[in-house]
Amino acid sequence: MKIETQKVELSLGNAKILNGIDLHVGEKEFVGVIGPNGSGKSTLLKCIYRVLQPGKGAVYLDGKPLKSYAVRDSAKKMAVVAQHNYYNFEFSVSEVVLMGRTPHKRAMERDNAEDYEIVREALKTVGMSEFENRSFSTLSGGEQQRIILARALAQKTPCLILDEPTNHLDIKYQFQLMDIVKGLNLTVIAAIHDLNIAAMYCDRLLVVENGLIVKSGTPEEVLTPEFIKAVYEIDADVLKDKNGELHILYHPAYRKMRKDHEESSDV
Amino acid sequence: MMKDKRAGLIKKTPGYVMTMIVLLILLILSVLLAVTFGSVRIPFRDVYGVILYQLFGIGDASVYGSGKIYDVVCFIRLPRLMLSLAVGMGLAVCGVIMQAVVKNPLAEPYTLGISSGASLGATVAILLGVGARFGSNYVGVMAFLGAFGISVAVVALANIGGRATSVKLLLGGMALSSVCSSFSSFVVYFSSDNDALKNVTFWLMGSFAGASWENITVVLPIVFLALLFFWSQYRSLNLMLLGDEAAITLGTDLHRLRQVYLLVSAAVVGFVVYSSGTIGFVGLIIPHLVRMVFGTDHKKILPICALIGAIFLIWADVLCRIILPGMELPVGLLTSIIGAPCFIYLMVRKRYGFGGGDS
Repeated sequence: MKIETQKVELSLGNAKILNGIDLHVGEKEFVGVIGPNGSGKSTLLKCIYRVLQPGKGAVYLDGKPLKSYAVRDSAKKMAVVAQHNYYNFEFSVSEVVLMGRTPHKRAMERDNAEDYEIVREALKTVGMSEFENRSFSTLSGGEQQRIILARALAQKTPCLILDEPTNHLDIKYQFQLMDIVKGLNLTVIAAIHDLNIAAMYCDRLLVVENGLIVKSGTPEEVLTPEFIKAVYEIDADVLKDKNGELHILYHPAYRKMRKDHEESSDV
Repeated sequence: MMKDKRAGLIKKTPGYVMTMIVLLILLILSVLLAVTFGSVRIPFRDVYGVILYQLFGIGDASVYGSGKIYDVVCFIRLPRLMLSLAVGMGLAVCGVIMQAVVKNPLAEPYTLGISSGASLGATVAILLGVGARFGSNYVGVMAFLGAFGISVAVVALANIGGRATSVKLLLGGMALSSVCSSFSSFVVYFSSDNDALKNVTFWLMGSFAGASWENITVVLPIVFLALLFFWSQYRSLNLMLLGDEAAITLGTDLHRLRQVYLLVSAAVVGFVVYSSGTIGFVGLIIPHLVRMVFGTDHKKILPICALIGAIFLIWADVLCRIILPGMELPVGLLTSIIGAPCFIYLMVRKRYGFGGGDS
């Protein structure tokens, strides 16, 4: 499935968050959206998954404007794993995953054997099969996020949108979640904070800054020490290991300050 | 084989169909048993004689077709019973709906100011005689108008300046509720009619004493229809608890639905108030108890809540009639006496605390 945006602009109150974004995500491409806090990457994704409506410009799914899709139909095209949040109510794990079948159901239609089979399969994919009868609220943050991923999988969509899905998760679960998504071989758009994770999993990176896409390319093209210094204001080295894997090594500012201080006191 | 798999997935509540059947039987038994209680002692045989005669024409018409026993059973006990059944059902179901609409497990049917609106309607009707042209139950009609009016106003208020969110609905409800309460107090304060004041108090506490077949033929079908409507909406109700954003990604825009559900339940509560005043805590405690056992899936809890609500109010009303010899306790008073400690218990219990939610 393909996703495009054309000159998407959006203001919240007086603040202009998006300043005309053009992006194109092709069939089965894994695209990472990176950028500092407040750059507008999450807002951009929200425009794509319909929680926000662009003030100007438009989003296209498979060449057709998003607005021409009913909400139910766009939910059959793309599923979303958003930032982790808590629920106040008691749902069992399988009930939460079963909600992923909602867009495929008419108002009075009952869940059938196929739906239950899809739920079972989704839970298996995220490695949570034995949790199906547990109460969702008793799970850890990482487990809950995997259940939400299973819910998205139960939607059976060709595209997956991840809106900073690994926020608040520890390293094990961050990798676990991204590994699962990578293994699905779907069209993926993911807003990612961690540049190392972005480099490892994405085919292509888009850099959003001040509501504009300022750079686009493979992780190797985009993630240079100069770029990291310019956008994130931190010194870094970018290394390639023997497997061709990209690694970003950060150099915190305090070391340099201490070194400068020692040098000046030596004199 | 498919069936086995499905059974595995809903293992957490294996007996929910069974529970519904048991509750249905309990409800029927409650009706049959409760009809024999009352301030006048009537032998079982005569009570059922009248009912059987009415339903199937079996028995002796001269004994069961007219007379004192016939009057008591047909015009006092049965209407009351049917009304308490309908009201219990309606309040429990609307409690579930309101909790979903405002995304808070401590909401109840009266949360959005419906009781204050109803009180204002009833107060101006009783004390100032407003709406007397609506006929004999003009107090009830005014209460209905007050209840429904305030719901419409709350929805309108919450829609000013952007989409109506659950927080805006709650705040709007609180604001309009205090407006109505102060107007009611104002009217009460400047009234000197003691009988009417007592009438207002009795009415606000809720009672089934005014039950009549005319009321029931309105209230019971409305409650049933609302129950069926909400039951058919269980997917959207479940999504409501996940919030608007998650719901949109799952293909449902809740904005419209939330207002539809609110107005349907306001209509139900309005008719409940019209027929029996404001009866508190049923719509809060029953959904809570059911959620504790059966989780939150609305497909399961709506019918169970309806049945338990009906059974609960039938017996609460029986208790009200027999607890004090020679006089009757307002049923709203009794439900508050039972309900308030339950509410505090639920509030203190960690799992149902306010914390942890993002509502």
